[in-house]
Amino acid sequence: MYFQKKRCIAMLLAGGQGSRLKVLTEKTAKPAVPFGGKYRIIDFPLSNCVNSGIDTVGILTQYQPLELNEYIGNGQPWGLNKTHSCAQVLPPYERHDKKSGWYKGTANAIYQNIDFVDRFNPDYVVVLSGDHIYKMDYAAMMHYHEEHNASCTIAVRNVPLEEASRFGILNTNPDNSIYEFEEKPAKPKSTNASMGIYCFSWPVLREALLADEEDPNSSNDFGKNIIPNLLNAGHKLMAYPFDGYWKDVGTIDSLWEANMDLLGKDPAFKLWGDERSKISARNSAMPSSYIDTNAKIRNSFVAEGCEVYGKITHSIISVGCTVGEDAVVEDSVVMPGVVIEPGAIVRHAILGENSRICRNAVVGGAFAPGEKKQISVTAKGAVLEANAVLRPGDML
Amino acid sequence: MNVMGIIFTNDATLGELTNKRTMASIPFGGRYRHVDFALSNLCAAGVRHVGILSRHSYQSLINHIGDGEEWGLELEEGGLEFLTPYAMSTSHVYRGKLESLNNAMDFLEYGGDDELVVMIDSAVLSNIDLTHVLNSHVASGKDITVVTKAGVANGSKLLDLAIKLDENGEVADMLVDYAAPADYLASMDIFVVNKMWLIKNVQEMIARDKFHMDRDLVLGGWQRGKVSVNVYQFAGLAMYNESIEEYFSNSLSLLEKDVRQDLFYYNHPIYTKVRDRVPTYYGEDAEVENCLVADGCIIDGEVEDSILFRQVTVHEDAEVEHCVVMNDAVIGKGAELKYVILDKNVTVTPGAKLIGTRKNPIIVKRGETV
Repeated sequence: MYFQKKRCIAMLLAGGQGSRLKVLTEKTAKPAVPFGGKYRIIDFPLSNCVNSGIDTVGILTQYQPLELNEYIGNGQPWGLNKTHSCAQVLPPYERHDKKSGWYKGTANAIYQNIDFVDRFNPDYVVVLSGDHIYKMDYAAMMHYHEEHNASCTIAVRNVPLEEASRFGILNTNPDNSIYEFEEKPAKPKSTNASMGIYCFSWPVLREALLADEEDPNSSNDFGKNIIPNLLNAGHKLMAYPFDGYWKDVGTIDSLWEANMDLLGKDPAFKLWGDERSKISARNSAMPSSYIDTNAKIRNSFVAEGCEVYGKITHSIISVGCTVGEDAVVEDSVVMPGVVIEPGAIVRHAILGENSRICRNAVVGGAFAPGEKKQISVTAKGAVLEANAVLRPGDML
Repeated sequence: MNVMGIIFTNDATLGELTNKRTMASIPFGGRYRHVDFALSNLCAAGVRHVGILSRHSYQSLINHIGDGEEWGLELEEGGLEFLTPYAMSTSHVYRGKLESLNNAMDFLEYGGDDELVVMIDSAVLSNIDLTHVLNSHVASGKDITVVTKAGVANGSKLLDLAIKLDENGEVADMLVDYAAPADYLASMDIFVVNKMWLIKNVQEMIARDKFHMDRDLVLGGWQRGKVSVNVYQFAGLAMYNESIEEYFSNSLSLLEKDVRQDLFYYNHPIYTKVRDRVPTYYGEDAEVENCLVADGCIIDGEVEDSILFRQVTVHEDAEVEHCVVMNDAVIGKGAELKYVILDKNVTVTPGAKLIGTRKNPIIVKRGETV
């Protein structure tokens, strides 16, 4: 079989369990978690790839892969199903030399798929996470990498100094070259936080992966092992400053916040975009949404296939949901297929796919300005009985 | 049972809406086009070989259907074929369905193992299980099966083909292009025939310079005792979009739950071309009541009793009532629209006022600025 040489391919790490998303990822891999009414988290890095001219994407899966595999399918929604393009799902597998099995870490996941990367003989490999919400032109990052003749370029964003100790911090020279990497430093020297987005020259990464695999003490992780090892070996590593919107949606709070960031006349993160910044998703064949005479919808997104009879304020309503008469939904993320029965009240909540809030049940509560918001969550398919109460911060 | 589908796309017109498009490509119901219903009906019945007969203005139709992927028709074998005048054996534009079928003879003859042919027009919308129709055809042993709907004929609506049954369920009378009384069944312009029978009869009809399917083949054949007719009565919803008035009132009838249920969910989903749009955003001052709204709209004004297609922008203080607003319209600040059909890509300038009536909605042509 003939494989076209590629200048750059992407490897998308989508195997994480996402345990901090709790009930939302009990049966779903984190990248397959719904976002923004009609998307899933993985649509963002995948669409970024396509918008950046990257047409070959390896997707490393491990945890609860069924739904994610189905969703990616042949890559058609992103235009990755052509003769010389692909969205290839790469699950762990058994190898003759036993250097295989479950992916031990992010670096090991790529190590086990060196053969896949080699087929395309790429100059550069972009390594991405499947749990970030942002729009980014990886081609611009690749040009920066090339221009600086770097071995590895890491996207960084400026974070407030008081929060810097929660991140992997890259200490840089004035020319943005990196001289030190510190994972969650107690006393951060800079505010350049790694975004977990890497551009490697493939020969350098390939060699580093082989060396890392030989080290029995390694945890086979990009942040903990590969990056420090490259620095120690004297490779040129560059920081690529990014000042657009970016959010790690690994927790209930951050997932809720990122959804809320879509709202408003001038939102923190704009879903709308031109052809070069469009986010694509697999579409469901649902009719348009019906908005009833008694419905009131303010500052909210409502996707297709919904029937709205109640009142929705400052919320995201995903495809195929029903909001019954006199129901109230405020400051909430309602995932696909949810039914909110008449009279139910939902505030500050994330309602998992196909969950049902029965008549007059109450989910979550209101918070005073400045008060720490506690988000209530329902699991996929959960049912909150009629008149029942799910308190602020509770899960069902 | 191997079945071939044939869709007729422009044997009728719908005022200014068919100026630059076929009947089949008229936008309907917020995100569909007429042809989506025919294609989805065929797709749900497992038909994997479909010919689309067009005589003019088919650019938007080809653009919409593409390789038929959305309907499962992007196949190695069978799949979808556009049968346009210049793609067929003769280069003149056909006069009637029989002539168009004759022009598409290559398609019919090389249709592999197909035994039956379902023919569907694009002006009558339904969500019908065609497997029941096919079974009825085979069980009847008749030459041609006509799918009909009771309750459509009313003495004033002009019908392509109307059929009256006797007490035994046999055809008692047939009328073509006539406003038949209420005890007649209206044809839904869906027919089932055996392929070999169709080929033979089309060739014989054309040899006698007969080209009208309803008049010459069905009515004429039945009158001469040469064609036996099986009548299938569809219990579900059939929407006849044969005039602007019908199109407008059928569009607004989608605001009723039962109508949506019958048209969009009755037997199977209706597939259409995917347009990746973000969900619709309702602004701080949006007032939306009793509307059907597709993806990609941004609404800051007031919209009531209307259908909004994809990517419509309604600016603040605009008032839209009883309107059908097609894709990509921009309705300016403070504009007032009542009983208006906005074709695609229309711009309504701020403060503009357009007031039509239920019977005579104002139509703004594609791409215009008012």
